[in-house]
Amino acid sequence: MRVAVLRPQVPFARGGAEIFTDRLVEELRVRGHDTDLVSIPFKWYPGARVLTQAFLWRMLDLDEADGKPIDVVVATKFPSYLVRHRDKRVWLVHQFRQAYELDGTGLGQFGDSPEDRALRRKVQGLDRVALGEATRLFAISRNVAGRLEASTGLQAEVLPHPPQALEFRCEGYGDFVLSVNRLDRAKRIDLLLEAAALDAGLRVVIAGDGPDRQRLERLAHDRGLDGRARFAGRVSEEELADLYARCLAVYYAPVDEDYGMVPLEAFLSEKPVLTTTDAGGPLEVVADGATGLVVSPDAGELARAASWLREHRDDAATLGRAGQAVAAEVTWDRAIGRLLA
Amino acid sequence: MRVAYFSPVPPERSGIADYSALLLPALGERLDVTVVKRGRTRAPRGTDVSLYHVGNNPDAHAWIVDALRKESGVVVLHDFVLHHLVAGMTVGRRDGHGYLDAMEREYGVVGRLLAHGVLDKRISPLWESRPADFPLASFVLEHASGVIVHSRTVADLVRGAGFTGPLWVVPHPAWPVPAIAPVQVAEGPVIGCFGVVNASKRIPELLTATAKVREEHSDVTLLLVGPTSPGFDLERRLQRLGLTAGGLVREGWADASRLWALMKGVDIAVNLRHPTMGETSGSVIRAISLGKPLVVSDVGWFSELPDEVALKIPVGDDEVPVLAAALELLVTRGDVREAMSTAGVELARRAHDLGRVAELYSAALEEAAGGAAVADSVLRDVSEAAAEVGISGDADEAREIARRLAEVELG
Repeated sequence: MRVAVLRPQVPFARGGAEIFTDRLVEELRVRGHDTDLVSIPFKWYPGARVLTQAFLWRMLDLDEADGKPIDVVVATKFPSYLVRHRDKRVWLVHQFRQAYELDGTGLGQFGDSPEDRALRRKVQGLDRVALGEATRLFAISRNVAGRLEASTGLQAEVLPHPPQALEFRCEGYGDFVLSVNRLDRAKRIDLLLEAAALDAGLRVVIAGDGPDRQRLERLAHDRGLDGRARFAGRVSEEELADLYARCLAVYYAPVDEDYGMVPLEAFLSEKPVLTTTDAGGPLEVVADGATGLVVSPDAGELARAASWLREHRDDAATLGRAGQAVAAEVTWDRAIGRLLA
Repeated sequence: MRVAYFSPVPPERSGIADYSALLLPALGERLDVTVVKRGRTRAPRGTDVSLYHVGNNPDAHAWIVDALRKESGVVVLHDFVLHHLVAGMTVGRRDGHGYLDAMEREYGVVGRLLAHGVLDKRISPLWESRPADFPLASFVLEHASGVIVHSRTVADLVRGAGFTGPLWVVPHPAWPVPAIAPVQVAEGPVIGCFGVVNASKRIPELLTATAKVREEHSDVTLLLVGPTSPGFDLERRLQRLGLTAGGLVREGWADASRLWALMKGVDIAVNLRHPTMGETSGSVIRAISLGKPLVVSDVGWFSELPDEVALKIPVGDDEVPVLAAALELLVTRGDVREAMSTAGVELARRAHDLGRVAELYSAALEEAAGGAAVADSVLRDVSEAAAEVGISGDADEAREIARRLAEVELG
């Protein structure tokens, strides 16, 4: 089968969606499908640029390439699913969240003017039309599927995908809690730093980079965490696998995250996950007391949970191993089988 | 965003007043809404968009249409047939020329001649005899910047009337079911019919069908709730059908709590209609919220109800036997009633949820207020980019771009 995987690109940025789509292309090729990645830069500001840039996808002709038909296109996130194709399958990573649940929050984009309000509605209108055209509609998590149904009335099949392929292993339960994430406000790394400020025994390693890094480093300094909070920046795959292998637990508590590969990566390293009750997608795999600890988004509670794990390392290992069993169920064979069925 | 809200509201007694009383709190959570006092025909200063609720009753809606004609805005069209309203706003105000003009604008010279016939009392008033043939909806639509309707049926009629502006289908919201004890009016199965008792609610057909069902199932009772229309001789019909001795319970106008209690107590709800003015029915919405198996006429909005929720009776020669068969089915088959009940509750939850309806209203009003500016901005950007690479407005490529923009509702 000839498959085009569609991915909007934010130049110079790389995150979970990029890792997912790169891997999807590889896994499709491994299974004998002639597959390529189709990518267009996306800039969503200022003003109506979000619509005109999205519209670029609509002008593409992906019926065939170089004289040979493309059998299936797999669109992933806004606005790639605006493309026209006779067999458009959407594996939804997320919609344009600023037009939905992030609207009116500090992470929103649209103001209160009639033009901005109408712009937001136009984005929603694009979703209704373009996602409504899909021949199959999947979402990477129940959270994403739920948001889709609430906003458009469209129902998606939940189809999780495995995380990136690292040399996952467990080398014990060390003395630090690991955060793996892009450093922006929505990822809520500051909550972990505030917890460390409350618990002198808590050491944290923060892997990842992003626009919030300076603020977070200043926060760590202001809280006197210089010796206990290490900003590792963007790390190599080997280094990341090593951090997973040695940490006590993994912290992952963005606000209403779509899904989150990090919990699955933690589980494959037999590590429990610390998350919060409002984290969204991660709660589909992190069950309190079963595969990790789920606390309210409060630094004190988070500090207590981390402390408990430090003092109960055998229990931490039990939670991590239970998580490993959960992660083992999510395979590319199953995912691609359903995607192309 | 500031919205000026023109509508009848309680204590006025009308279905649209009840509708607004239900909608306003939910809408107020999303938008800055000012309810305009009855009789005022100007929106408050600083209003971004005005919303006009229009129905067919001139007493309730003439002032709202007066306001609309002064300043365009979004019209909620509760009825498509507005002849009675237009007559009230023209003939009723001693403005015969206004009526002649309205009829001519929509129906040409024939319309004007018919209007003359009405004014000269040569023919009976068209708003009484043939309103559906001459709905006069353009009297309102020509002033609307956008239109909200409750059904696809009316959306099609609005387009058919030549309206080309933005059009949104927003379902009628469902009321929260109050915690009121049901009132059981009889021992056996009870068929309930709620609303004004008149011929257009097909009460004669319902009475005949009920009498027929009672031949086999004498424990069946028909509950009629609502005032009787002047000129509709209910008593005589009951006597003729032998329903005076039993089998019928009559209740006049009921307030909301009494209505809920009575509706909760019935086993089957019937809501027939012909002709339809393009309206939805608050009674039907209440009935599905309560999980009552429904029997409706197969017309207008009622036809759009899912088959799992309502048995639909075609209007015509076989209306009575089909209606009797439907009632008999529901009287005798508990499993069918149960399945329809479940489907009705689910429909109310899914399609008529108040929060969802308020969100659809917000979307429509926000698009109405700022949509034109956004569309201009998109078209300017796209056409500039096209022109920069040498695509002129009349080129095939430009037509292709226009087609793609239209597909995703951007142009």
